[in-house]
Amino acid sequence: MPSFPALTSLIRHRDLIWALVVRDLRVRYKRSTLGLVWTMLQPLLTMSVMVVVFSTVFRFDVPNYPVYCLAGILFWNFFSQSIVASMVSLRANAGILHKVPLPKEVFPIATVVSGVVNLVLALVPLGLILLATGHPLHPSLLFLPVAILIAALFTLGMGLLLSPLAVFFTDVIEMVGVTLSLLMYLTPIFYPMAIVPDRFRFVVRFNPVRSILEVFRDPIYFGKIPPLTHLAVAVGFALVALALGAWAFRRNSDKIPYYV
Amino acid sequence: MSADAVVQLFDVSLCYRLAKQRIPSLKEYALHWVRGALVYEQLWALKNVSFSLAAGDRLGVVGSNGAGKSTLLKVISGVLKPVQGRAEVRGRVAPILELGIGFDYELTGDENIYLNALFLGHSRKEVDARYQEIVEFSGLGDFIRAPVRNYSSGMLARLGFSIVTAWVPDVLILDEVLAVGDVHFVKKCEERLAEFRRAGTTLILVSHALESIQRNCNRCLWLEAGQVRADGPPAEVLPRYIGSAAPVGA
Repeated sequence: MPSFPALTSLIRHRDLIWALVVRDLRVRYKRSTLGLVWTMLQPLLTMSVMVVVFSTVFRFDVPNYPVYCLAGILFWNFFSQSIVASMVSLRANAGILHKVPLPKEVFPIATVVSGVVNLVLALVPLGLILLATGHPLHPSLLFLPVAILIAALFTLGMGLLLSPLAVFFTDVIEMVGVTLSLLMYLTPIFYPMAIVPDRFRFVVRFNPVRSILEVFRDPIYFGKIPPLTHLAVAVGFALVALALGAWAFRRNSDKIPYYV
Repeated sequence: MSADAVVQLFDVSLCYRLAKQRIPSLKEYALHWVRGALVYEQLWALKNVSFSLAAGDRLGVVGSNGAGKSTLLKVISGVLKPVQGRAEVRGRVAPILELGIGFDYELTGDENIYLNALFLGHSRKEVDARYQEIVEFSGLGDFIRAPVRNYSSGMLARLGFSIVTAWVPDVLILDEVLAVGDVHFVKKCEERLAEFRRAGTTLILVSHALESIQRNCNRCLWLEAGQVRADGPPAEVLPRYIGSAAPVGA
């Protein structure tokens, strides 16, 4: 197995990964009090806009739309921000990559882990909205750590797949940005599946991001643990993404210091 | 790898693609690829370099700027993988290509001890065990609790050197970094290197200070345009190297 020495080397560097996470969070929160407030406020603001637009301009039949929408926004922010940040992380640490040998995966991994911490912090405003709208607090909420783990593995896979490309080609970050905004509309974040016309539904249905999103949103919004079939599909997507990403990253890893 | 070798290079070659030909965007790359016009101009930084070092050898590397000295150190330390050939190293390598790798200027000296040592591949526990010794050796006293953005370059170098040499390595790689710090610290550094020498550490040193190579090394490698021009005792190689810089016919 070619990735085995890489894995032991990563385990050896686990303290480094954690230190990088702390460094990330410190940059985000220590230097500005607004940092923490912003992590919580930004999804709420997006949600407010969506609530106004979709409950007055276009009307969907989604009970307690704020919760539906906010859960989707939190997931999407985690996913898209972690991918873009992973892609930037190698270039941002170019000075280190030129001077010291280490498994280069530590940078995208630390990026995704700090994304998870941000996601967990952003669950606080979600809790407030649940209480404020009188949404029942189901025991299924206890399933969230598993859902977040699946989302994190999937996101890490995509980050590992894309981050070497971002080192080799300067325009990849921009292209991924455009793709992500298209993907956002193909994912039922702001709208319910029910409004998608039948002939387009397969596009949304086979979107892996939707599958991961629903595993995250089901326990919050529907108060249920996702059905086993959905869960299996989401775990499958996450593992395939992770395997593909880890393989692609390893293959390109030696070339990275020549390009950053 | 032969039995007594600690560092061994087999026919190592390495090239950088020149910026002129480098394809910076995926769109251009795709276009060039479709047209079949993907040609790179290559700069060979190292060409067919082979040598081996036994435990306790002290190698000095000399050569003009751009001869490939730093690239050679990067290959041995494992930062760059050669395009052809291979480099094998037995044991723990301490690469000092730069002091204070990964220092975060907003963090204090003691926080940076951890960050830097973790980048060098140590665990938090290992750093805990050596922390006191690192602080003492650095001689920074109470400054250790100040953010490193307030440090002078000499203080940064002291801290960096104290961290990377807190563990006795099997192979120590030094890239002209000892030229900083005051006389007291330079003396401490030399004492520490002497300790390593007694412990059997293999040393690889790149320097333009030829008398330091004369004094510290038992072997000298002269690189020119990425190739080995000479490899032997400093007393033989250094005069030839110095001679090469003399004006022709003088």
